[in-house]
Amino acid sequence: MQMTYSRQEMMAVFLARDLRDGEHLQVGYALPVAEAATRLAHIMHGPNMDLIFLGARMNVHNLNYIPMPEFGWDNRIVRWAESYSDRGHRFDRLKDWGKRVFFIGGLQVDRFGNTNLIGIGESFKKLEFRGPGSVGTPTLTTHVGRYYIILNKHSKRVLVENCDYTSTVGWGNGDPKAREKLGLPGGGPKYCITPLCTMDFDEENKSMRLFSLHPGVEMTEVVENTGFKVIIPNNWNYTEEPSEEELEILRSRVDKAGILRKVK
Amino acid sequence: MKERLKKTGLESIPKDWLWDGMTIAIGEPAPMALVRQIIVGNLKNLTVIASGYALDILIASGCVKKTISYLAAGGVGVPVAPSFRKAAESGEIEVWECEEGILTSGLEAAGKGLPFMPCRGGVGTSLPEINEDLKIFKDPFKGETLLAVPAIRPDLTLIHAAVSDAYGNVQHCQGPGWLDLFLCRAAERTIVQVESIISNEEVRANPWATTLADVDAVMCFKWGAHPLYSRGEYIQDSTFINEYFAIGTKAYKTGDKEALEKFLSTYYRNPHSHADYLEVVGLKRFLGLREY
Repeated sequence: MQMTYSRQEMMAVFLARDLRDGEHLQVGYALPVAEAATRLAHIMHGPNMDLIFLGARMNVHNLNYIPMPEFGWDNRIVRWAESYSDRGHRFDRLKDWGKRVFFIGGLQVDRFGNTNLIGIGESFKKLEFRGPGSVGTPTLTTHVGRYYIILNKHSKRVLVENCDYTSTVGWGNGDPKAREKLGLPGGGPKYCITPLCTMDFDEENKSMRLFSLHPGVEMTEVVENTGFKVIIPNNWNYTEEPSEEELEILRSRVDKAGILRKVK
Repeated sequence: MKERLKKTGLESIPKDWLWDGMTIAIGEPAPMALVRQIIVGNLKNLTVIASGYALDILIASGCVKKTISYLAAGGVGVPVAPSFRKAAESGEIEVWECEEGILTSGLEAAGKGLPFMPCRGGVGTSLPEINEDLKIFKDPFKGETLLAVPAIRPDLTLIHAAVSDAYGNVQHCQGPGWLDLFLCRAAERTIVQVESIISNEEVRANPWATTLADVDAVMCFKWGAHPLYSRGEYIQDSTFINEYFAIGTKAYKTGDKEALEKFLSTYYRNPHSHADYLEVVGLKRFLGLREY
């Protein structure tokens, strides 16, 4: 059967499948793919997952429809929350965050999964492009058990040889012990998920390696739109297409507004 | 007895509470009626701890010299607040680059009267390079590499909450906003704007609900957080906020600031009192925000 789905839906489905039941999933603001994926996973196979959006720990499993918040600061997200860590305690249990899973975006990402939300330009005092800032990503990625880098665009402007500034440390200089040497307790990035493909990190040099190509994407698109040399292993796969059930649930119980279908 | 009373009005704020070049921290949701007073009072060269809409309005109004910033996003489709972006890119404002873990550490150091607080978030990143106040050091026990975050002491913190009595016993509805308590503990002074002033009896009926008990002044501004939200009272006016960010983005892209200046004059510079602001915005708009 021929199905049509957007690249963003493909990304959300891939991510959802990688999330395990019982995990604590913390989503920050402006990451619709992660918002959708955590909800989809919760419905499909993760009844015991903890969904945490910003500071709101939500009880949404019994809902027929788990809407995605339009925007992070819309106070109405508390509608589904059982608790809200607004008292400034959001960073007071970092020691336990090894069991948390987190998701980040980036203006720039290098081959080792170091990311930049600060800005682009040689002089920090006069940036060519001033980014939004690091939010809480440096602290979160330092501590969480693992995280995913999710990019809305796969281009040489985003996937770069070197980030102009680093706001989160992935695998540092590519040394598999880089995080350990810096004293960062968290497990680091697992996948970088883009509209073209998914990439993991080579065990030896922690450089990004093609894991799967989304159906319909040519390998040359990935190579030509990446600012560094992606490792292409022999055993790469195509990303398994969304099933009918996954799409059905995604569209009827999570993303009714079609946020993931609006982006090309 | 009089000094125990904290309820006051704008006209009674002592002159020496506000000065050019001071550091002002803004809670969540931003107390927009008080933020408007910063603009009306034409305070300049401020260091502000703020994010989002309030930060961008203050920068657009020319009040800001430096931001202590972890996030300056706009609304839907506006990943970076436009006036912040313009001022930062042109070097008009200085950015004390940080992130939430670093900011809360600095505020906590201030609250505890300590010179600094250690923080792990930011180790290995560019943050200590682009912000020289963040020092890398070895902890004396295990020799771990950490960041020393200096105490961040606002001269004044501005907060929005649901209610207070005349003695400044503040009760946020459903808990204080993100950072509010950190900002108050760290600050020299705190002014809280509330939706209603209630009786001391009502406060004493549930003292556990009092979230701030040692503030310097409380003022009543009904609908005072508009266009942001007030829990239990009204939702955020997304149309208004999106309109501002659209206007700000246009000013950023074209350099034509006419619409932006008009917006600032209409809503922030010209209204004499809070009631005047409410009239300019209009009753219909406010009534719509009562519907969830």
